[in-house]
Amino acid sequence: MSNRRSRQSSSALRISDDQMIDLVSKLRVLLPEIRERRRSDKVSASKVLQETCNYIRKLHREVYNLSDRLSQLLDSVDEDSQEAAVIRSLLM
Amino acid sequence: MDHLLLLSLSLTSLMQPTSSMNEQFLKKWQMGLQIFRPSIDNTSVSERKRAIKLSADVAMASLRKGTTCWSRALIQKAATQDNFLVRQMLSGIKEETLINKKLPKIVCHRKIVRRSKKILMRRKSKSAMEEVAAKAKKLVKRKTQGLRNIVPGGEFMSNNVLLIQETLDYIVSLQTQVNVMRSIVDAADAGVER
Repeated sequence: MSNRRSRQSSSALRISDDQMIDLVSKLRVLLPEIRERRRSDKVSASKVLQETCNYIRKLHREVYNLSDRLSQLLDSVDEDSQEAAVIRSLLM
Repeated sequence: MDHLLLLSLSLTSLMQPTSSMNEQFLKKWQMGLQIFRPSIDNTSVSERKRAIKLSADVAMASLRKGTTCWSRALIQKAATQDNFLVRQMLSGIKEETLINKKLPKIVCHRKIVRRSKKILMRRKSKSAMEEVAAKAKKLVKRKTQGLRNIVPGGEFMSNNVLLIQETLDYIVSLQTQVNVMRSIVDAADAGVER
């Protein structure tokens, strides 16, 4: 019983090569910046993971900036401004 | 008349390969903003921004209907910021399916520590190649943890396969969110240039 559990916990820590290859191919579709690496699978795996983190952070920043922009567009000194009207008709 | 043209243009620009996701997101997001609408003229810009982002996040997460860990974690987090908004947006979907009610047990560390101690004892006669492989493995482990920190609910994904699956789904959802939000901003900008 304890053997089984320790085997499960150790396999949960490692990403198998097959799974990593699968991830790389899927991420390549989403991240066009990843270039071909001639190094071992493990090293390119860490690169893929790093690029993934970078990309997610980039998307977070974009959402943050777009929310900012939208809130500004909705806020207009002149409430009858075109910006506010357009946004309101599209969103509300 | 320009208005309607703009509206139809913005909607057609949203007809991408994942058009149904875009549409669903937009509808949900609009619903959230409509809840916010009555108070909109009495709120500060920063409060508006918070409402816009929050309803966008809840809209994005609700697309998954509680089937992914990240979406449940995100909704739970949003609920701590604005419980009312979240409940309103998700009324009709069973609450239990959407929120991480129980914290799944993180894998016990004692056995892992014991095992790695054994490995350390054996490490004396490792070849250079094995050293490189071990370093690479460590690097992957560190990057994986980085990913776990950035994906919502990552702390509950002790299984790396799950973590990767969730990450892929999360990225696609974020792309939807960004695409729709950007379309709205672009449409507004375009409408103003006249």
